[in-house]
Amino acid sequence: MPTSSAEETIQRLIFSLSELEQLGQTLISGHSNFNVSSKTYLRITLGTLQVTRGAILCYHPTDNYLTVAASAPDIDSTPIDIEPEEVTSFLDCSHIEIDTPPEGLHSFINRNADLINGAAMHRLWVPLKIHDEFLGILGLGEFLGREKLEEWEQELLTILAHQISIAIAYSQIVEGIQSEKFRLFMLAESAPQICQLLQPEDAAEQVLHQAVALLDANMGCLMLVRPQQQILELLDAFPKSIISDNGENIQSISLKEIMGLPESEEKTALNMLGSVVEEGRTNRCSANLDDVFGGRNLMVGPIQGRDGDILGVLVVGDKEERGGRTLEFTEEDEMLLDSFAKQAGVAIENAHLHQEALEARELQSEMEEARKIQENLIPDTLPEIPGYEVAGYYEPRGPVGGDYFDCIELPHGGWGLSIADVSGKGMQAALLMATLRAGLLSEISSSRGREDSESIDMNDELINMAMTLNSLLYVSGTEEKYATFFYSHLNPETDILTSLNGGHNPPLIVRKDGNIQWLGQEIGGLPLGMFPNEMVPTIAEYQAEQITLESGDVVVYYTDGVTETVNVDDDFYDDDRLESDAISCANNDATSICDFIHKSVIDFQGDADQFDDLTLLVLRKK
Amino acid sequence: MANKFDISIRAEQEYAVLETEGYLNDALGEQLSQKAQDLIEKGYTQLVINLANTALINSIGISILIEIIEALDEREGTLNFCGLSATQERTFRMMAIAKYAGIFPDEKTAVADFQ
Repeated sequence: MPTSSAEETIQRLIFSLSELEQLGQTLISGHSNFNVSSKTYLRITLGTLQVTRGAILCYHPTDNYLTVAASAPDIDSTPIDIEPEEVTSFLDCSHIEIDTPPEGLHSFINRNADLINGAAMHRLWVPLKIHDEFLGILGLGEFLGREKLEEWEQELLTILAHQISIAIAYSQIVEGIQSEKFRLFMLAESAPQICQLLQPEDAAEQVLHQAVALLDANMGCLMLVRPQQQILELLDAFPKSIISDNGENIQSISLKEIMGLPESEEKTALNMLGSVVEEGRTNRCSANLDDVFGGRNLMVGPIQGRDGDILGVLVVGDKEERGGRTLEFTEEDEMLLDSFAKQAGVAIENAHLHQEALEARELQSEMEEARKIQENLIPDTLPEIPGYEVAGYYEPRGPVGGDYFDCIELPHGGWGLSIADVSGKGMQAALLMATLRAGLLSEISSSRGREDSESIDMNDELINMAMTLNSLLYVSGTEEKYATFFYSHLNPETDILTSLNGGHNPPLIVRKDGNIQWLGQEIGGLPLGMFPNEMVPTIAEYQAEQITLESGDVVVYYTDGVTETVNVDDDFYDDDRLESDAISCANNDATSICDFIHKSVIDFQGDADQFDDLTLLVLRKK
Repeated sequence: MANKFDISIRAEQEYAVLETEGYLNDALGEQLSQKAQDLIEKGYTQLVINLANTALINSIGISILIEIIEALDEREGTLNFCGLSATQERTFRMMAIAKYAGIFPDEKTAVADFQ
């Protein structure tokens, strides 16, 4: 084995000192990322020691494997698994001759024989470590012009390995600080950002995306508790393929099935979800591939509202590490998710409150529009009917309910008196009322309502009209939209009043002699628009009834807002009070009767709130 | 777990633009790092990374961006970013990335900075 001459040794020592200085410069240059600087470290090491092959392998303690940071020549960069006891063996040695390894590393060398004997051709391994912390391996091969390193070269190698170890440790510390700085900034930044989102869907998406990025996860789901349905409902997932891959399993999860499950040693996604909803604490597990979400190493955090209610859960999984491996979440991750989920709760609650406020404002605006429509449909004045007095009163109370009344002179003779109450509230009710009125006007302006020919049966006329209006309202509305309707045709020449009831409160007749009669009580048909025409005969056919009015007779048409007015004791004004009031004022004119009953109802209600419109139409034969 | 991502490259004579699409995590970051490294090896020292189609970046993505800055710095090159959201820009400034790389609103101004 040739020995270096003294002059050559001195020259190499000078070169080595210069290279060591360069190493120091590299370390303090700000190039903290070892992935970038590792090539420089390796080049200097190989040049200083006159070695033609080498590699720096970095150790990843979280999952026990090594990756190639730099190599000459390039070698396969697949991660190399290493057992904890093999790490211990490395820590026990200052260097390892590959041909004569210590007992504890036989297996490691055998497992990696292809690498060692292939492109790398390493002869010597030097553990990279600081104190008892294993950081990696510096591998060297093919010592130029000699079989092995001289003693002074080995001492130089120790110094170089130590420099590299410091660089790795420094890089890891800087990366750790950068990562924590990033996460804390993200956490601080995300709060105002997500709290500003006003659409619940946007807030949910942002919350989910921020959680995934914040925790270095690769998948996540946001699920909300639906207390009424007793389910956890999937609101959003990242990536979206989770939904298509796992389908119905995660769209809706029954709370009954996941809460109160017995503790099991191996946590599953479902019992984790259950315990988070139950206890309101973040939970994690190192499960293998999970069959519910399709992710690994899941962590679930509770999303809580201001009052502590569990609004939902945030699921994250597949935490990644540089190099593509999946890691388990740590206790710090758990605290981070916990903090983030608290902000998420506020954001989601804010968005929902905003949505509710918007809907309330829209509803109010719709109500106002509907009210205008409705008020335009109510006549300002009523016509004069020869030999009769007619008066009406309408008072909106609370949300738009859809009351309607009218008295119309018919083109072919006679008068049509109508009163109706449309179900529901708001714009739909107002539009249905407008439809009813338009349909009614259309009907009475056509042949219906004629009585200029004896051949026309007024009862049939009204029944046909009711069927037409029923059909019109049925196709115009939904199942819940219908109208109670009462219509009377008055012939002032014969004093015959022909009436049809479509599920409305029967009008009250106070005869001149004080007798009481409820008009149309025996002929009650179905409200208009509730069933299709073909079903009407099988349930309750429309019928018409004729009475003759005499001087002094009074007919009081009303909506249920009158008889269902409540007082502070929750008593109804009811039919009896209406009857009694109508009798006591029946000798007055129609307007006075209307005013009297209205005042009586208002006096009865006192300070009690009312939610239904109050409508009266009074007809009196002079 | 599939996360849609992609990188497109437009290499001009004096500079190259790398445009990312999707979550800038380890998978997309490693691809970006490799493509940037390939361009640096070919002699490109002026790179633009357009993040307009990357709404999400995690800490690994950030560390890979820092690595690319350092790799270019070794060759005395310049890296400019563009297409950043307001949050991303604040993050880059807070992480001192803005100290070693330029931040521009769009590709045009990022490229113009090289001239």
